Amino acid sequence: MLEFIIQNNIVCHAVEAMLFASVACAILGVIITQVQISSIGFTMAHAAFAGAAVGMFLSINVTICAILAGVCVAFLIGPLSDKARVSPDTALGLLFGISMAVAIFFIAYMQTLGQGFSAMGLLFGDVISLYREEIYLLALICVVAVVLVVVLYKEITGIIFNKRIAESVGIRVKPVYYAMLFVIALTVALCLPIIGGLLIYVWLVTPAAIALQFCYRLSAMFMVAPIVAAAISVSGALAGLEYSLPVAPLTAVLFSVVFIAAVFLSPKRRVSFRKY
Amino acid sequence: MTPSDPIIRLENVYTAYEGADRPTLTDISFSVGRGEFVVVGGPNGAGKTTLLETINGMLPITHGTATVCGHDVRGDGVQVRCRVGYLLQNFAFDPLTPFTVEEVVLMGRFGMIGLIRKPRKEDHEAVEKALHLLGIGDLAKRPIGKLSGGQQQKVLLAQNLARDPQVLLLDEPFSNLDMFARESINKLLSRLVASGIAVVIVSHAFDDLPDCRVRVVVMHDGRISLDRECLPADVGQVIRHAGSAPCYA
Ligand SMILES: Nc1ncnc2c1ncn2[C@@H]1O[C@H](COP(=O)(O)OP(=O)(O)OP(=O)(O)O)[C@@H](O)[C@H]1O
Ligand SMILES: [Mg+2]
Repeated sequence: MLEFIIQNNIVCHAVEAMLFASVACAILGVIITQVQISSIGFTMAHAAFAGAAVGMFLSINVTICAILAGVCVAFLIGPLSDKARVSPDTALGLLFGISMAVAIFFIAYMQTLGQGFSAMGLLFGDVISLYREEIYLLALICVVAVVLVVVLYKEITGIIFNKRIAESVGIRVKPVYYAMLFVIALTVALCLPIIGGLLIYVWLVTPAAIALQFCYRLSAMFMVAPIVAAAISVSGALAGLEYSLPVAPLTAVLFSVVFIAAVFLSPKRRVSFRKY
Repeated sequence: MTPSDPIIRLENVYTAYEGADRPTLTDISFSVGRGEFVVVGGPNGAGKTTLLETINGMLPITHGTATVCGHDVRGDGVQVRCRVGYLLQNFAFDPLTPFTVEEVVLMGRFGMIGLIRKPRKEDHEAVEKALHLLGIGDLAKRPIGKLSGGQQQKVLLAQNLARDPQVLLLDEPFSNLDMFARESINKLLSRLVASGIAVVIVSHAFDDLPDCRVRVVVMHDGRISLDRECLPADVGQVIRHAGSAPCYA
């Protein structure tokens, strides 16, 4: 899609993939951090990772396995977490542990079988060997994330504000909440092969955390987070390919650096005596 | 539904919290007409909050029938909540909550606006009116997390008034309010009651109630133990006499 700017095909695909993945993750990341379901996002990401590892081991479609695992967790955890009264921490902790155990077991096993290279891709991401279809899928999930937020903006802001109050004003909290979880699960699963199971969480949380340092309004966060994420991810992809560095880890480091800088520059932490 | 029909009607209602082994409300039968002002009293844990959340369908009714504003609470809770204002007990917001007062009040109309549709001019006008009614128009652009507890409570009340409710359920609305705010909210409530809105209020502050006919409902252990009309000045007395529970002795 960006061939007219970037001639090199590999670089072009890598940049496109990082762009779409980062925008989708950043938009959903704002929801995840603001609804305070970080632990659910975290667990879904690792379940998708485990699903992908199992899929790779059994030589079935990695993406489909990752989606299945992520969606399963969404619907296992959803009923526990959609009530404002129950804290699903323990259940999430268990699922997270099981996912990691499964993922690491299969990746380690594949390494002993000599398939270590592709298994490493699952851990740290791989932007070099991408199919065109994968990029179209990423573009699609990016659009889905944007549409979700635009169409359900009222309901999502209500849930972010407070789930009980949202329910009390007549918002259909449950279906919206599940739609959110479902799109998050899909996105995580599709971004997994590019970003890697160990790092995807950086994409989900850091852009929103950076935006939070500067934005007082939710609408601003939904704009700033994807723009920041896209800028960092594209720079990371270009720099990584130029200097032959691993793209996803390099970008994750960039994210962290920008986040630390943002914390220091944040106006929210300044005490001022200015009148306004 | 004719105007004389009760706007809230519960018949032999049982409500259970999820996972509880026995219902919290047992066999509640309770009707409220338009323009009635009901004060619910009773000791902590008696089931007052549970009663309000049963009326607006936020808690599962396990037995009995409940009709509010002409809608079945069990099957059509969302429709009920679009017509019923409910001010939650004890609410405080994080200072960094990314919402302004205006946005919070507008949220009160999100249910009735419906899925996908955007707020329109009349919605923004209703917000302005509600802010004005509570005298907090000057706070409209402020972030809600940076207001005082009492100011936040007024914002949440404005949120509930913004959707022109037919029923107002208020769970200890006076807990954070100063004397003047109580007085002005009481005046507001008596005007709302006069205009035909049914108000059900859980309160421990009986000294200043609106100047209208008051019905007192006292709860104990998930049941209604007393339900009678009285003068606003006698509410405290009536509830004290009804309560054998230590905290009212
Ligand atoms: N989420 C919950 N799960 C299970 N039981 C609950 C829950 N919330 C309240 N209860 C129980 O229901 C009963 C009634 O609680 P409720 O909150 O309605 O009391 P209340 O009359 O509003 O008290 P207060 O004056 O303290 O607000 C209590 O015994 C309480 O233990
Ligand atoms: Mg209560």
